[in-house]
Amino acid sequence: MSSASSSTAASTKSRVETPLLNPALLARLERMELVSRKIYRGQMKGERRSPRKGQSVEFADFRSYVPGDDIRFIDWNTYARLDKLFIKLFLEEEDLHFYALIDASLSMDFGDPSKLTYAKQLAAALGFIGLIRSDRVRIETLGQAPQAPGPVLRGRSSVWRMQQYLEGIEPGENVSLHEGVRNFCLRNSGKGIVVLISDLMDKEGYEAALRYLVAQQMDAYVLHVLSEEELNPEITGDLRLVDCEDDDVAEVTVSAPLLKRYQQTLAAFIGGAKDFCSRRGMSYALVRNQMPVDELILSLLRRQGLVR
Amino acid sequence: MWPQMTSLLSPWQWVILALVPPAVVALYFLKLKRTPLEVPSTYLWKKSIEDLHVNSLWQRLRRSILLLLQLLLLLLLLLALLNFSWQSSAFAERRVIYLIDNSASMQTKDIAEGARSRLDEAKRLVAARIDEMRSGDVAMIISFNERAQVVQQYTGNRPELRRQLANIRPTNRPTSIDDALRLASALANPGRTSNTDEGDVVAADAVPADLVVLSDFRFPPVADFALGNLEPKLEMLGAADTSNLAIVNFSTARHESRPELVHIFARLQNYAEEEQSVRAELLLDDFLIDAKEVAIGAGGFVTLDFTREDVETGVLELRVAAADALTVDNRAWTVINRPQRRRILFVSPGNTGLRRALESDAARELAQVEQAEPPYLNSPEYKAEAASGRYDLIIYDECAPEKLPFANTLFINALPPDGRWTKQEELDTGIQIIDTERTHPLMKLLDLGDVMIYQGFVVKRPSGGVNLIDSSRGPIFAVAPRDGYEDAVIGFSLMPVEENGELYPNTNWPRTRSFPVFIREVLTYLAGVETDTNFANVRPGGTFALRNEAAGDELTVVDPAKKKQRVRRNRQNTYEFADTQQVGVYEVWDDDRLLARFAVNLFSQPESDNRTRPEESVRLGHEELAAQSALQPSRREIWKWLVVLGLVVLLAEWYIYNRRVYL
Repeated sequence: MSSASSSTAASTKSRVETPLLNPALLARLERMELVSRKIYRGQMKGERRSPRKGQSVEFADFRSYVPGDDIRFIDWNTYARLDKLFIKLFLEEEDLHFYALIDASLSMDFGDPSKLTYAKQLAAALGFIGLIRSDRVRIETLGQAPQAPGPVLRGRSSVWRMQQYLEGIEPGENVSLHEGVRNFCLRNSGKGIVVLISDLMDKEGYEAALRYLVAQQMDAYVLHVLSEEELNPEITGDLRLVDCEDDDVAEVTVSAPLLKRYQQTLAAFIGGAKDFCSRRGMSYALVRNQMPVDELILSLLRRQGLVR
Repeated sequence: MWPQMTSLLSPWQWVILALVPPAVVALYFLKLKRTPLEVPSTYLWKKSIEDLHVNSLWQRLRRSILLLLQLLLLLLLLLALLNFSWQSSAFAERRVIYLIDNSASMQTKDIAEGARSRLDEAKRLVAARIDEMRSGDVAMIISFNERAQVVQQYTGNRPELRRQLANIRPTNRPTSIDDALRLASALANPGRTSNTDEGDVVAADAVPADLVVLSDFRFPPVADFALGNLEPKLEMLGAADTSNLAIVNFSTARHESRPELVHIFARLQNYAEEEQSVRAELLLDDFLIDAKEVAIGAGGFVTLDFTREDVETGVLELRVAAADALTVDNRAWTVINRPQRRRILFVSPGNTGLRRALESDAARELAQVEQAEPPYLNSPEYKAEAASGRYDLIIYDECAPEKLPFANTLFINALPPDGRWTKQEELDTGIQIIDTERTHPLMKLLDLGDVMIYQGFVVKRPSGGVNLIDSSRGPIFAVAPRDGYEDAVIGFSLMPVEENGELYPNTNWPRTRSFPVFIREVLTYLAGVETDTNFANVRPGGTFALRNEAAGDELTVVDPAKKKQRVRRNRQNTYEFADTQQVGVYEVWDDDRLLARFAVNLFSQPESDNRTRPEESVRLGHEELAAQSALQPSRREIWKWLVVLGLVVLLAEWYIYNRRVYL
């Protein structure tokens, strides 16, 4: 038994279930809001501008009066000058759709904290921001059955529900990234922000999956979660590496050149994903499971423009 | 030149050996059992080793490199057990005999701008050659000064050779290569033996050897020596332009008529190509009492004479402040001990001439003479005293004891009773003296041209002695050693002879001027007076003998380095001390009483003249050989270091293999 595997086992046992959100974090998140680079139509009145014109204080345009228009919106000052009736249009403020899509496969159950825990914390934090700002928040996993979509949450009162839901997510969904994203897209046709939290470790590749998100014309964010064990493996000796998902075996003799090659492969993998995303207008961020969630949101995602 | 192999193992041992490689392979596979480890995904790992699979053959080799190494090691072991050998004369073992000169002149520091002495350089060169020795080569080291010493017998054990080489110390002795050559020759050229059964056979196989002589070749030519199987190579050490200024003699003598005056003589020799001026300082018991500034021409010498009244006893030291490469001859010592009177027993039926000579003031100053008649020789007192070594000299005139005493003896017209001395021929027709041995101390000042002798006999001395007076018919006066003593025999009577009822003098010697001189020499040489007043200079390595019946069984000698050594009284009632390597003054103590002091000085012209002469050839026996300047070793074998390095690499490889992350 190599030292690396024993340490992994030990870390799995010693893993402490931390609350997804703690008060200090919540206090900091309360001042934030989710930002979409696109303006989407919402379903309900919210705090977001909507392409729909409606009732708000934010002026949008003028339009000629046609019979049937609400005379309350007639601009009487213009009428006095021009002797024509114009209707003042205001931007409608609506809610934003925020989706968090969590990869809950077995491979996400590695690391300390496990990548899944980290993903849940991240989803909770972002969801909380959305709920605070009266956005429509929906959190789903890749393995979500098409018939049982995740709950739609709205408003501060739903924070507890969201937490309950997140805590119920267990690792072990055996569904490929591609299939999971496709199902998600089929279920959720609405526009909005989608945050995919995954390790992208799919032997079939992540490209097809991400293409679905692009096709959905959503404001897509890919948060690529990798554990420290994956980024800097500390293993030695002659090993038979067993894939936890499909029991695939790779016999390796860990040597310095191999580790170097692994790093190169990893760098190519990360670089490829980043490249893929940026070309398709998606935002990509590599997330280490060691990075505190608040730091991630307050610095990295703020820089990326997901939150403000 | 094909390799020959002879197996050291029996067939069943080979079978066991043959099982070892499969066992190693099996162990190797056992070792390679991989540890399973669960990982999030093998995705990246598979991608990582995908490229490696391209050159998978190499990978497989790489993975089994330890196995290959182990098999290689095993193969080498098997080859070693095959006991390979090359059938070739070129690789036959080499035998080298190193003769290293450690005489006084080898202390000259003129190698590498005065950084090293010649001996150090010789040792360095030999050490380098020992490093070069191939396995199977053997070497022997002999150091020589006036004696030769086998420092290390033939051996291929290099650490031992190096250790023994390092143990060679410089000496202050003169050089003589004869012994060393004979030692070397004895091994290379074994003698023949004549056995009545087998005829003339060679005692042992001749072993040809290289003879490497490292010296400054300041020794006389070697005569009567054949190199035989020895292949000589002479390597000269030292710079040709070395200059040296030496004290080659330093002695004292009391003034003949004014004994309170002491003449202090010294001779300084300049062994250089230019004139040198030096200051010579004379010290008495470490206090400067006189100094002289002298200029000595190139190759010349100067005799210094300090005459002092105030020197009663003590240690005199002469120092010259010469900055030369050989320092051992820049200081010299001599000791003036308090004269000690000797005891002499004179047994004679009534020799008036001799008696008068022994009773003279000059003789009395030197010795205390007791007289007796021949019947005394049979008395128990005499026997006791003769056996106790109480006398320094016993003169037997016309008589002989039953047994030789523990003393030096002078027999006049009589023979020692031990049978070694014989009368060869009676002479009664007048004896003509034709030659005297002037180099001997007893005879050095004697002119016997006017001496006439009527009767006597030809003295046949035992071997080891010297004939002092030769007559036309043979020697009539000879001296020969006996154990620690010396016996002198005069083959004619100093008393009148009776012929036809009348007395005629047998010789006119007692009436000539040379007789008192002879008596004085007898007293100083045979009674050993001189060795006390002004000890003969002891050469480094020489033996100093002290006779003192009053002292205890053990004396202490303190050498110049203040090291104490015990000396026991020997069978001849003398104390002999031979560890006189260092120059300087030695003190002889009996408990807390200072008995005597003696000085050891180099005083050797060949050693002090340390200019090397590369142009001159060296004569070894019948061969004239050219000595070449010592060459630097041409080649240094490093294979041993490579093997050591290889082992280190193997260890490192093993370590890295187990901690592959670093590779």
